[in-house]
This record gives sequence, C-alpha cells and structure tokens, in this order.
Amino acid sequence: MWSTAIWKKTWGDQRVLLLSLAALWTAFPWIYIWLSAQIPMPAFQDVLLRAIPRDWQKLSGVPFSEVATHAGRVALAFVDPVVVLAATVWGITRGSDAVSGQLERGTMEMVLAAPVRRVAVFVTQALATTVAAAALCCVLFGAVWSAVAFGPWAGKVDPARFVPAALNVFGLMVCMGGVSAGVSAIDSYRWRTVGILCGFYVFSLLAKLVGRLSRSFAWVGYLSVFNCYEPQRLVGPPEESWRLLATYDGVLIGIGVAAYVVGAVLFARRDLPAPL
Amino acid sequence: MLVQTRHLAKRYGSFTALDGCSLAVPAGEIFGLLGPNGAGKTTLLRLLLGYIRPSAGSAEVVGFDCVRQSLEVRSKTAYLPGEARLFRRMDGHRVLDFFAGLRPDCRRDVAAGVARRLDLDCSRQVARMSTGMRQKLALAVVLALDVPLVILDEPTANLDPTARAEVLALVREARRNGRTVIFSSHVLSEVEETCDRVAILRAGRLVHEQSLERLRRCHRIRARLTGPLTEIPAALAATVTIAERGQDTVVLEAGDSLAPLLGWLSTLPLDEVRVEPVGLAAIYDRFHRQQG
Repeated sequence: MWSTAIWKKTWGDQRVLLLSLAALWTAFPWIYIWLSAQIPMPAFQDVLLRAIPRDWQKLSGVPFSEVATHAGRVALAFVDPVVVLAATVWGITRGSDAVSGQLERGTMEMVLAAPVRRVAVFVTQALATTVAAAALCCVLFGAVWSAVAFGPWAGKVDPARFVPAALNVFGLMVCMGGVSAGVSAIDSYRWRTVGILCGFYVFSLLAKLVGRLSRSFAWVGYLSVFNCYEPQRLVGPPEESWRLLATYDGVLIGIGVAAYVVGAVLFARRDLPAPL
Repeated sequence: MLVQTRHLAKRYGSFTALDGCSLAVPAGEIFGLLGPNGAGKTTLLRLLLGYIRPSAGSAEVVGFDCVRQSLEVRSKTAYLPGEARLFRRMDGHRVLDFFAGLRPDCRRDVAAGVARRLDLDCSRQVARMSTGMRQKLALAVVLALDVPLVILDEPTANLDPTARAEVLALVREARRNGRTVIFSSHVLSEVEETCDRVAILRAGRLVHEQSLERLRRCHRIRARLTGPLTEIPAALAATVTIAERGQDTVVLEAGDSLAPLLGWLSTLPLDEVRVEPVGLAAIYDRFHRQQG
C-alpha cells in the first residue's frame, strides 16, 4: 500500500504549485487585513447595515451584525475567491493528475510495469496531496494568526478563533482533491477530468446560491459541497464553532475520502489504455 | 514454459483486438512478435502485464496468472512500452534514481552502464531530450532489471543505426545471461537477426509460428523451365514444395538442407537457376499479402 519512490515523486510534482500557493496564502491575509483596516469599523458597519438590502444577508450565511465585527471581517478572508479558488485549484490540479493526468502524459505505463499495486500508487499520491493540503492550511492559519496578532487590528481579536475556519478550508481541499482523484481514476484525459470538475465547481456555487436565495428551492443548496464550506460561521463562540466544524468537515472530508476509496477501487479494476 | 497463453482474447465491444491467442515461450528464448499496426501485438503484451483484462482465455508468466497474480508477474518482468514516456521535469539521473527506488531489482549502476553504452547524456532534462534519447533512457531502466523475462515493444524505434545495433547486442546478451526476451518489432531484418522464433499476428489472430533456425535452412530455388517438370520424388516430398509455377518458370521451396535435393535438381530441365534464402519477409508477406 506504500511506495516511497512514488511519495517522493508526488512531492516533486506538486512542489511548484505548493510553494506558489504557500506564498499566496502567506501574503494574502496580511494584504487583506491591511486593506480592510483602511475602512474604519463605523464606516464599514454603516455600509453593511444600512446600504445593503437585508435580503442579501441570506448570501453571507451569518447576520450582518456578526460580519461587522473585527472577527467577522477577518473571517471574510476565508471566503474570498483568493482562498476558495486556490483551495479548489489545488484539489482539481492534484486530483486530476492522479490517474488521467499520468495516463495522458503516458508516464503511468512505466510506473505500473513495476511490481507496485495500482492502489498503492493511488493511495500514496492521495496521502501526499492531503498532507500538502494540511501544510497549506497551516501556512494560511499562520499568516492569518500573524496578521491578526501583529497587524493593524492587533489585540482586537483572538487569532485562535480562526483555527476552525482554517480547518474548514482543509475540508474543502480534501473534498475537491478526492472528487477530482475519483473522476481522474475512471478517465484517460486530464483536460476532460478538469472540465468535469470545473462543471462540478460551478454547479456547486450555483446550487448554493439558488438554495440560499429561493425558499422553494432551498433543497438545491444541499447538492452543493459549498453548503459545508462556511468559515465565516466558524468564528463565533468556540463550542458552537467546533460543533459546526465537525459537521462541515465531516461531510467534506467524508465525501473526499469516499471519492478516494471509490477511485482506488475503480482504478484497480479498470483497463488502462495504451498512451496515445 | 516461461510464458504461456491459452485462447487469450480481448474484445472492446464488437471490436476484437486479440482473438484466441495460444502460444508458449520457453525460457532462454528471444521470441519475436510480428504484425502490422493493429494486429494485436501490444494488446497481447499489455494483457501479459495486467494493464488490461482478458475477455476470454488465460495467460501465465513464470507460472503466475497474469490477472490474479499481476504483481508477481511484474516482479519477474521488465517491460519497455511501445512509446516509453518518462517524467519530463526530471533529468536522466533522477529518472534512473526513481526506478532504482521503485524496483528493488533495478540496479542503478547497471542502468548507468547501459546508458553509457547507448551513448546517452543523463544530465539532460527529459523534456529537452530527443525521442531517441528518451527511448535510450527507458531502455537503460528496463535492461538494468534483474528479471527472467524482458518484454520489449518496438525497442529500436527512433534509434540511430549505432544505438540500434547496441540494443540488439544487449538483447542477445540478455539471452546469454539466461533471460527470455519477447521482442515486438516492425523491422523484419532485426527480428530475423536476433530472434530464435517468431509469431505472426494478423487482425488479432496468431496465424503462424516460425523457428528462425529452421527458416535459415530454408531456400528458394527460382528457375526457368526448359521442359516439363517431373513429379517430386516421394523421398523428397517432405522437404521440397512447388511454391509458384508459371508458364515457363518455377519456384521451389526447400524446407531443410539443400544437399539431398541437388541430385534431383540436376536431372530437371532448368535454366537460370537462382538459390536464395527464404527469409522472414517471404513468410511475413505470405500472411499479410493475403490480408491486402
């Protein structure tokens, strides 16, 4: 079930993306909090509570009064496209490379000529991707912690409150990585895998929006994995935050792990086409 | 038998890629696989390695079932794919390191030695290597493995003549070291030069097996007839056949030594007699011209 050579190779393959996202997530919280601090809290509260229609509150997932706090404003960094897109890009890029990427490049052929189980190749890559996702979330939390502790809002909010939000990002990365690897396991072309997953991403975003905005179609929201990605709701009282996180990450990581397991089984049983 | 297949078949919907292929390859032999594109050569090799599952039949390598014991099969096999593709970001040394780490039976020093023999610069990144250089790198990985069976799918494609000759020498060395080699190629001359036996595939079916040693003893006698051709004597009927007969020409095919024939040939009304080895091309054409 394990191959050290594959483990090392996977880290080599994901090194550039890992370092790029680590650099992005190191800089982003500092820039975000610095930019946010340029708008004084009363002005922000004024815009949020008076200028934006109350109905739009549904989209934020939490009352505007909670958003209009230092913790609420920092938490918005976790739902910023820089974080959500980067987490999704990580999952799709690494997951799609697991099988169809390597089949398309033709490199899987020589690897599987060795006495190594397909499941071992798949699982080793999945572990490397997941460990790297955890490392990225540590980087993100570290950057948020340092920006909160030493930035313009130093002393106004406890940085430890953002641990559940960072863990929710990890849940999203595992989910996207697992679903991507699962689709990759049955496909032979990476471009098609990426296309399918982009469709999945867009569908999830739209389903969440529809579920939030329409009372009669509220059930559509449950079809979206983003229904369980709500880091802005995880900066409240610790007990409630951890309880919510357990539900959210339970679903996200559950979907990710289930997709990895199904992908591993299908990959082990399928016919592998000759490289084109 | 080191490799044995029984009625092995692979179908994709209504398309049959391999149809009831039964063959046996004894240990220590260089076994050639011949056939045009789409004949089923690569399908057969991929079935042996467990990349694809048979629709019918079975296959064994070194006594292990190719489906149920694929891991054991691959631990006894070195395989060079038809178009070997390696990790583009690595340089040659790192590719050799990777496979030495992946396979305990891959000797890094031997791989480096093979690369040197093939005049390959391993310091270059794979992405910057030519197709031929990548082929050499893959060959260095495959030929460094200490395994009883080596499967080479068109190993000399993309290679220059010098490297091609070196690869054929390495294949013969592998046999001298007791290994069995399955060698798939389109180049009849190198198959004829290297293999002990060949199988010819056509449209997924194994249509002919030929011992090369026996083929080397076969000759064709082309001549112009100057009179009526007499019947082949009963004593020679097993060794000589009339392959072609024109109005005033004849082609005889001798399946064994020419010596017993010479007396009879001297009695025939023949002129402009030419004796030539049959060659693999003639055997190959016999099956593939029919298809055309």
